[in-house]
Amino acid sequence: MKRRRRTEILIQENGQLAKKLSATIIDAYECKEILEPQYGLTMIKMRESAKKSLFYIGEVLITEAKVEISNCIGIGIVVGVEDELAKQLAIIDAAYKAELPETITWRDQLIEAEKQNTKERAKKQAELFKTKVSFETMEV
Amino acid sequence: MGYVPVKGGTEAIDASIKRLKYERLKGNETIEIQTIMSTMRGMIDQVMSESSLYSPFLAALAIKQAEGSMEEAVFLMRAHRSTLPRPYYSKTVEPETMLVERRISASFKDIPGGQLLGATYDYTHRLLDFDLINESSESIQRWLQNYQTELQQVDAFDEVKYFPKVVDYLRDEGLFENHQEDNTVPKDITKQSLQFPSTRSERLQVMTRGQTGAVTSLGYASLRGYGQVHPTVGEVRVGAVPIYVGHPNEMEQNTEDEFYIGEITVTEVESFVPTQVKNANNEYELQFEIGYGICYGQNETKAIAMSILDQCLEHPESNFPTHDEEFVLLHIDSVESTGFISHLKLPHYVTFQSKLDSVRQVKKEVQEVEN
Repeated sequence: MKRRRRTEILIQENGQLAKKLSATIIDAYECKEILEPQYGLTMIKMRESAKKSLFYIGEVLITEAKVEISNCIGIGIVVGVEDELAKQLAIIDAAYKAELPETITWRDQLIEAEKQNTKERAKKQAELFKTKVSFETMEV
Repeated sequence: MGYVPVKGGTEAIDASIKRLKYERLKGNETIEIQTIMSTMRGMIDQVMSESSLYSPFLAALAIKQAEGSMEEAVFLMRAHRSTLPRPYYSKTVEPETMLVERRISASFKDIPGGQLLGATYDYTHRLLDFDLINESSESIQRWLQNYQTELQQVDAFDEVKYFPKVVDYLRDEGLFENHQEDNTVPKDITKQSLQFPSTRSERLQVMTRGQTGAVTSLGYASLRGYGQVHPTVGEVRVGAVPIYVGHPNEMEQNTEDEFYIGEITVTEVESFVPTQVKNANNEYELQFEIGYGICYGQNETKAIAMSILDQCLEHPESNFPTHDEEFVLLHIDSVESTGFISHLKLPHYVTFQSKLDSVRQVKKEVQEVEN
């Protein structure tokens, strides 16, 4: 599974899956910490909808970690103060880069988590729809 | 009289800082960062927006340290931000990717997808709720349980819905100009100081991090007559937008290989502003333009005011002060304005003595002439 999709699943999930998947790699391989979790900024570039031009809205605090497994460096980046999750994401990223066999078996778990994430978001959105306005035109 | 340089006050300053800590602690109470994050949503959003640093955790810490002073909290956040590395720039965040929590239009009753009130103070009675004085953990738990039970009855959608922009329908009808995507690399005012005339990207960046009160006041001034923009709010949205970054080292940059790093909540506004333009026959006709406003968190008043000022600054030909980019952009930053005003209370002994000397000299000369 490609990085964009899997990082979206792992970050939107509550962190349990990242913890579980990274643990299987820590137990079986040497994971060398290249960059311990550190805080930094990401400048956010946005497109405004009036003239469709680009501008910077501001920065967001991130936690970043880097881990090396089998000569492959993995990066974990996540919004907020998330030391553990950043490191777990870096391990998972390195595992995919090194094409470790475990990653093949992760696909089903990731897809299941993706379905759950979508279900939870769709439920949350449906709940918000209780605040949807139903206009009635009055006779005057 | 010569000028006398002085030093001292170190002990007094130490004692003053200790006294400041005492003022924060003397009630023998503390507030947890988590409590601030859970209960001071509006304040956190405002601090993040004005400091231009999205981090509810750091904003809560700043609020605690500053004892709730907005200007101090924003100053702390800006100072902290300057100590951090900035290893990444995000990929372009497209407004349509917002997971909407609130969406209203003042221009149309029936907007595709409907009007979603979400969480808002707009329809509350502004009466103090004295029941909150004795609010207990048990009563909170009870209320939450009842609300959760109520929500359990709601059937989930099959998939997450993304709302189209109201303005896009009007563009499709030809009522608004349909701009092509402009991918000019934006300027960054944190890297390069503002020069005039400014670019649109610089103006938007300054305004989105402007002090809420200042942005609101200038927007209001424009409406009251010190400007020429009288908009109707086309759409106000509050929701979360996803953030993606590219890999720092990989040569081949593929969308599928980007990192999703999380999401941020923003308020986004499009205001519709009627303007008169000359057509091909050199006749004036009515047209609509869009004022754009956006800020971190849920801060609708600021975003609406920004959309007014955006439109004002797109028309510098007007003589009103709210159309003057230097007047607007150089006076709305929290750290700059509060910093300059508050520096006035710092020692100005030398400059003031100089002024006194001048006055004494003039008075002495006048007295000599009179004698």
